[in-house]
Amino acid sequence: MNGFLGFAFDLAVVILRVVIPLLAVLIIVQIYSSLRHNRRNERPLIMLWDEQDGRAIPVLYWENSIGRSRLSDIYINDPAVSREHAVLLRRDDGWIVTDADSKTGVFVNGERISGRTHVYLNDRLRLGSSTFVIKRAEEFMGRTRRSWFFNVSGKNGVSQKLLLVLITIFQFLVTCEACLTEEVLKSGVIDLTPFGYFLILAGLMWGEYLITSLAFKRVNFEIEALAFLLTSVGIALSIHQSAKQTIVQLIAAAAGIVMFQFMIKFLEDPDRVTRYSKWIYIGSLGLLLINIIFGQTKYGAANWIVIAGVSVQPSEIVKIGFIMVGAASLDQLQTKKNLFAFLVFSALCVGALALMGDFGTALIFFATFLLISFMRSGDFKTLILAVSSAVFASLIVLRFKPYILDRFNAWGHCFEEPYVWDTGFQQARTLIYCASGGLFGMGIGNGCCTSLAASESDIVIGVVCEEMGLIIAAAMAVAIGALVFYARAITTRSRSTFYSISACCAAGLLVIQLSLNIFGATDILPLTGVTFPFISAGGSSMISCWALFAFIKAADERTYAIKKAGLFSSEDR
Amino acid sequence: MKKVLTRSLLTWFLALAFFAGLGYFVVRLVTNANEWAQLPMNAHLSANGLARAGAIYDRNGVILAESVEGERLYNEDERIRRAVLHSVGDDSTSIATSVQSMYRNELVGYSFLLGLGLPESFRSTEDITLTIDAEACAKVYDAMAANDYKGAAVVYNYKTGEIICKVSTPTYDPYSPPEIAEGDDTWEGVYLDKVISASYPPGSTFKLITAAAAIEMINDSPDRYLYCEGSSIIGGEYVTCVEPHNEIDMTMAMADSCNIYFAELAVELGAPTMESYAERFGFNQSFSMGNIDIKKSFYDVKKADDAGLAWSGVGQYTDMANPLHMAMICSAIANGGSPTMPYMIKDVSSIFNIGSLTAGKSGQSGRDMMKSSTANKLSDMMRTTVRDHYGDSTFGEFHVAAKTGTAEVGDGTEDGWVVGFVTDEDCPLAFAVCIENGGFGISSAVPIARTAIEASAPAVRGY
Repeated sequence: MNGFLGFAFDLAVVILRVVIPLLAVLIIVQIYSSLRHNRRNERPLIMLWDEQDGRAIPVLYWENSIGRSRLSDIYINDPAVSREHAVLLRRDDGWIVTDADSKTGVFVNGERISGRTHVYLNDRLRLGSSTFVIKRAEEFMGRTRRSWFFNVSGKNGVSQKLLLVLITIFQFLVTCEACLTEEVLKSGVIDLTPFGYFLILAGLMWGEYLITSLAFKRVNFEIEALAFLLTSVGIALSIHQSAKQTIVQLIAAAAGIVMFQFMIKFLEDPDRVTRYSKWIYIGSLGLLLINIIFGQTKYGAANWIVIAGVSVQPSEIVKIGFIMVGAASLDQLQTKKNLFAFLVFSALCVGALALMGDFGTALIFFATFLLISFMRSGDFKTLILAVSSAVFASLIVLRFKPYILDRFNAWGHCFEEPYVWDTGFQQARTLIYCASGGLFGMGIGNGCCTSLAASESDIVIGVVCEEMGLIIAAAMAVAIGALVFYARAITTRSRSTFYSISACCAAGLLVIQLSLNIFGATDILPLTGVTFPFISAGGSSMISCWALFAFIKAADERTYAIKKAGLFSSEDR
Repeated sequence: MKKVLTRSLLTWFLALAFFAGLGYFVVRLVTNANEWAQLPMNAHLSANGLARAGAIYDRNGVILAESVEGERLYNEDERIRRAVLHSVGDDSTSIATSVQSMYRNELVGYSFLLGLGLPESFRSTEDITLTIDAEACAKVYDAMAANDYKGAAVVYNYKTGEIICKVSTPTYDPYSPPEIAEGDDTWEGVYLDKVISASYPPGSTFKLITAAAAIEMINDSPDRYLYCEGSSIIGGEYVTCVEPHNEIDMTMAMADSCNIYFAELAVELGAPTMESYAERFGFNQSFSMGNIDIKKSFYDVKKADDAGLAWSGVGQYTDMANPLHMAMICSAIANGGSPTMPYMIKDVSSIFNIGSLTAGKSGQSGRDMMKSSTANKLSDMMRTTVRDHYGDSTFGEFHVAAKTGTAEVGDGTEDGWVVGFVTDEDCPLAFAVCIENGGFGISSAVPIARTAIEASAPAVRGY
């Protein structure tokens, strides 16, 4: 195109390239701002009134440990009370007390209890030589602690609808950019099929929003919004790579949403998950076993199976089960300290993945195992023991299969001969194309990085940087990384330690995976071949990312808010 | 719950490690982007990378390279293409110091802020005008090619610093780059701009530095007489001259290029003084023209015995000199002690000029190399050498002050040197020529220098 029209289109392209990253940053800021706002005050749920001295102890959490340990949620300075004596839990059907294997026992209205026992207002709870009466919280006048993350006093954050409108605008602009490639500008022939994908994606998002807000009565949509934002980038970048891949991504996104809703429903009762844990163990190991037997090799790792023409990566699905059986509610943490079953399960998972040659995913599982076991036990010894045995095991593997080390020779030397032509080939090109893109990118569809092997998955960061620029790439990475802070901030506001642990570990897992993806492709770590959550192509990965987001979503008490109003307290929200 | 909250701090460490890594990635990308983006592996640049790059002109507006309809075209004249190859470069980035390698980002309009892919209307490619005279380069190239000489020749204006003529051989036509087989040494050094990136033993041309040190540090220098028998034992080793020079002072020793005279001076001055003078003259120092680093000249006598020190004073031992640096030394002598810094980028034109490239600065002086009285004395000696010894006709109509050199290379061959400057007021040219395996400088390098001066003079004189 020449003349004025050509100039107008060129100008439009430049404006798009600058506006899109800025809009992405704005959306991410709004998502987190919304996560910080719209919070209830952290006020006590009920309180324990000490008969002896008339002191009122606030009960702040859904699950509270009671004991002589200063770290207990409810601290009782009484020599007759065990360090970890009992657990006071809130469930949908009321408050429950459990004896955490204490020496002197727990008495409700004078009777010693065993197992979970319901307690009601004005019940008398005796532990050691102390007796407490359960009271409403309104009478409590003391101050409570606040997390830096939340902004309780400020006005409400952006409305969820506006958030979605912003994302829709983002998707629209990205689609426009995808239509105005360099070739189009030169030839003047515009192909409008990208708008078809745009309509499907926007439709999925709004459909999901309407269903959750109308049918499930949920008021918050930030986590889903983040997933859709990331998915939009992935879809936009895959349009010019392969139509088939784009359609697979869209179908996987739809499946991911279904998975997400199913997970939230399933996780609603943490005790139910515990009941199913045996089946999760069996199912996960079964999947890995099938993978080992029928596995197909792609990019050097036999981590694929093909079912009826659809290739599936079982390890992605096992990730979900892994976190599910790893997390536990507080009374389980206090009574069943033995991690043996989970330890064996983790070792089997990591071993199976190593056997498939998928060392990246094996590393993710191992790091997640460390996170889970530490959050459950708080024991550094377990951590050190696990790390040292893993190092020992790796050394043995390298002793017998030294060629595995060759894969990592290029690490840190990707621009040097001869690595730049073999094992450092992709990393060197990724960096070159990241540099070519600059801050605002060369435009969707104009990149060269897409010609590299695994450009749609392992080294997708190169495509994002080259075509959309460093600002967007960094913003997307920061948006996922910041989930860790969010997951930790909601720890004590979750309805159970089951959610706290699973949310922190899901966020941790995503960050570990993202680190391996970005730093592996850019030669900061050895290249291992894992996916960028939501942006890398891959159906299994997409679905598992939605499931991991579901853990985080479930940990936010607002997710199940509608059903929990009015337990001993007149104001819950 | 509190315990779980405390334990979840572990995820924070994870996140902090991640953000630290991300920060490292961003910083590394931003600081290295210019270098990475122009690596030859970049498919945006290498395949058809100069397809839309800016043009390169010589000082008279002669097109040295330009892009027309997606193709990179070079000058029509093959002589010029070959002569300016090392200044301009070819499609690849094989010649690392060439403009098309060093300033490829500017030529194609790359900046990290906007990346490489701005649409046509906004592309800020930069045109670059060089200070060199293409025709002068071609004439020198012809003269060198006629004798099958390999080496370097450079002429620059010692008042302004503009490089007028710069030729490095062997060379090739950028339209047909050589395919060099393993072990084929006919193309040795072809990717090197020898004016900028090579160094050779300076041989007798180094006597200028020894002389300067002696003039400033020894009382009866340069008037001291010495009897040269043709050979003498210094530090237990024979130092020899081509022929006995008998009773000579420094001016005669310079003209006759007496090794014994300057070897004795070097030993008398001692290693620390010699080294400090060599360094004042720019040996072991880094110089650059814009982003282009000039190969360091080398002088080190810390571990030398007297024989080594003696030989170092006449430009042997481990001495190495870069041709452009030797021309700078001549410019310092011509200018009364301080050199004028050479440059090659005359002008840069672009719409936005967001690139890092700026034109060289005219008349920028480097650090003083010697006292101005010393410069005058050296200048007189070099002038005497030409006038009384070679005869002024050697350089045609020009009045030239020069020093030749015949440097022994380790393999038994000898490189021929001449360095100097034109004393005529209207033609302030400093030059250095080094012909590999050329034998006596007077017979190999001097005729090339004459051609270079004659070809470059119109650029400074205007006629």
